[in-house]
Amino acid sequence: MTDMQSMRRIRNLVEPLLGLALVLAMWHITSRHVANATLVPPPALVWKAFVAMLDDNLPQDILASLLHLAVGYSLGVSCGLALALLAASSRWLDAVIDPFAEFLRPISPIAWIPLAILFLGVGRAVPIFLIFYASIFPIFVSTLAGIRRVDPSLVSAAQSLGASRLIVVRNVILPAALPAVVAGARLSLGVAWMSLVAGEIVGGDAGIGWRILWYQEFFQMDRVMAGILVVGVLGFAADTALRLLQKHAGRWNPAQGNLT
Amino acid sequence: MNTLVDIKGVGKTYVSARDGQRVQALDGIDFALRRGEFLTVVGPSGCGKSTLLSLIAGFHAPTVGSITFDGKAIAGPGPERGVMFQDYALFPWRTVAGNVEFGPFARGVSASDRRRKAQTLIDVVGLGGFETRYPHELSGGMRQRCALARMLANDPTMWLMDEPLAAVDLQTRIILQDELLRLWGDAEDGQERPTVMFVTHGIDEAVLLADRVLVLARRPGRIKAVVDVNLPRPRDKARNSAEMARLTEHIWSLIRDEAAQAITEESH
Amino acid sequence: MSLQSAHALPRGARWWLPLLVLVVLLLVWEVAVRRSAAQGLVPLPSGVLASAVKLTANGVIIDAMSGSLARVLIGFAFGALVGIPLGLLIGILPVMDRALRPVLDALRSIAPIAWIPMAILWLGVRGDAALFVVAYGAVFPFIVNTSQAARLIDRRLLAAARALGAGPWILLRSVMLPGSMPLIFTGARIALAFAWASIVAAELAIGIKIQGQGRSVAGIGQLMVETLYVQRDVDALVFYMLTIGLVSLLIDAGLRWLQQRLLPWSQH
Repeated sequence: MTDMQSMRRIRNLVEPLLGLALVLAMWHITSRHVANATLVPPPALVWKAFVAMLDDNLPQDILASLLHLAVGYSLGVSCGLALALLAASSRWLDAVIDPFAEFLRPISPIAWIPLAILFLGVGRAVPIFLIFYASIFPIFVSTLAGIRRVDPSLVSAAQSLGASRLIVVRNVILPAALPAVVAGARLSLGVAWMSLVAGEIVGGDAGIGWRILWYQEFFQMDRVMAGILVVGVLGFAADTALRLLQKHAGRWNPAQGNLT
Repeated sequence: MNTLVDIKGVGKTYVSARDGQRVQALDGIDFALRRGEFLTVVGPSGCGKSTLLSLIAGFHAPTVGSITFDGKAIAGPGPERGVMFQDYALFPWRTVAGNVEFGPFARGVSASDRRRKAQTLIDVVGLGGFETRYPHELSGGMRQRCALARMLANDPTMWLMDEPLAAVDLQTRIILQDELLRLWGDAEDGQERPTVMFVTHGIDEAVLLADRVLVLARRPGRIKAVVDVNLPRPRDKARNSAEMARLTEHIWSLIRDEAAQAITEESH
Repeated sequence: MSLQSAHALPRGARWWLPLLVLVVLLLVWEVAVRRSAAQGLVPLPSGVLASAVKLTANGVIIDAMSGSLARVLIGFAFGALVGIPLGLLIGILPVMDRALRPVLDALRSIAPIAWIPMAILWLGVRGDAALFVVAYGAVFPFIVNTSQAARLIDRRLLAAARALGAGPWILLRSVMLPGSMPLIFTGARIALAFAWASIVAAELAIGIKIQGQGRSVAGIGQLMVETLYVQRDVDALVFYMLTIGLVSLLIDAGLRWLQQRLLPWSQH
């Protein structure tokens, strides 16, 4: 390895750590000297709280949240995909589905919370419904656009090579639209995650979001802070997983470039 | 019968997507393509040459008139009429081998058979060693070879080629022209050759490759002339010959005025 | 596209078909609810309409909306004031990008509403906790988009400006900033849309917390909670939902119009 390369390697490792250290230092100072330790728990205390939570309720809370996410997201994404395929396959269906989608889309899933609480009661159904509803739109929009953007000459080429309609859909349109589908799945996951936290905080009775509020009732702010950070980490992990999937699924696509 | 494609009284009108105007792309086309002949089609921009090709390919139907292929009406695209597109239209998610295998795959040929066939063709077009590459990793000339191999995998009776060499540089084009002629059977004699319809902007290319050159006029697209090319085959030695230059100049004189018109009228 | 059948829709069906379906659905819904005597338990189109009239007339919805919108705008302004300079810093200086991006990505992963419990503690339950959540969420779209815009600035524009004698301050103000505007604007649209959704969520959370304490309603979220638990007015709830959606549409349409006026050269 040349000097330049090893310097770059060191730099890429050290600088993010420096940034992190800076933030941690600022946090600590704020906690000790600017505000007080009850309002802003210092990093060390938060870490201790996190470790304690691991033994306590944290694993089951995380599991509960992941369950909400899994159920709501898979249902929502399936619906979104199905609707997109329906809209793409028939102009009549498209004329009906599209305006309804446009009408419902501006109404953020959050606005549905009170109605959901009214009909489903405070509990696990609220976050699940919210996630389900929120996940439908991004993947629907993205998949439909992806299918419509498929290069028509690819379809023509397949037809003149003797492909039946089924083969055209399965072996040309689907693979060509796949990058858009995965991008939509990633967007859906983003809103799903937001809806998960909102749903659990406002109308749930299980899961990490609900638990954060619970700790706040008891003024265990160090645990609250730890919980908030856990929410961040989980969200980041979920997005990273999908980002890797997106990279892998799209490796033939020169337009993909450097995925963020 | 010696006629493979019979075009009778064909006209094509469509509505322009851009401004909703009706455009008459073709009018009153009467022509018969002979089996085993290499036909090139030239004309100024907007003369409908690509439209004519897409009608024979089966992507669109004529507004008036009829086209028969081997005595039967054309119902849509099919493997016996192979197509090569100007932008290659290779499936970007499939490797070179995957692309070449697509035709046999679509027709239900077994995996081992189609793999063997694909490998043969890949070697024939000179892409040996690149079977596992993706289209975006290939140069323009290599992509065109891949598209050619993909078309040939179905052993089509007719080759429909829409400006296939327009997107490659001149040196590559000369090499590919020679390869195309060789694959077609330029050096061999006889009726067993595929029938080719080759649309191009390049008049010299048209004369070099063809048995006959179909010259179209524009607005609306109609036949201006049919020029016989009696140069001996194989043609790779015919470049820069006096007879070729004469034919090229003759055809250009038929097109020149309309081509100049097309430049200003096509701007928007 | 090719998936769809070749039959096009009759003229104008795009307009009257969904309208027809909507009207039919509403009628069926109205009749079904009235028949089953579930009125008051299940929302009713006529009931929603009645609520709309009543609540607009007595100013309830206007007060709540202005409260929420005011906080959205303040949070949005905060997001821009903090996010744009930070984004420029990260976009221009690779050192800052490497150092700060991991931390910012981590903070960005925290759904803003998760901060509610801390925000309530720090800022109380009136409205400022909601404002904190909105401001927090609004910062990141600005950072992301501004940094990307700064990174994507055509190097040649900067080189040209430098060759014309521009110093670093002019470069920043007269080349980078205008050049980054389109992407920053997109960031603004995302931030504002996100802020609107966040305020409702935050106010809902606060509303749930203080529910039953008889405090005055500060925003639409709290209004909805009160309607949910006190009046149990299902029709009003649906009306509130529709207005939330309407405001989203208006915000986005407004911003798009603004972009067209201010940055017409950037429309794709």
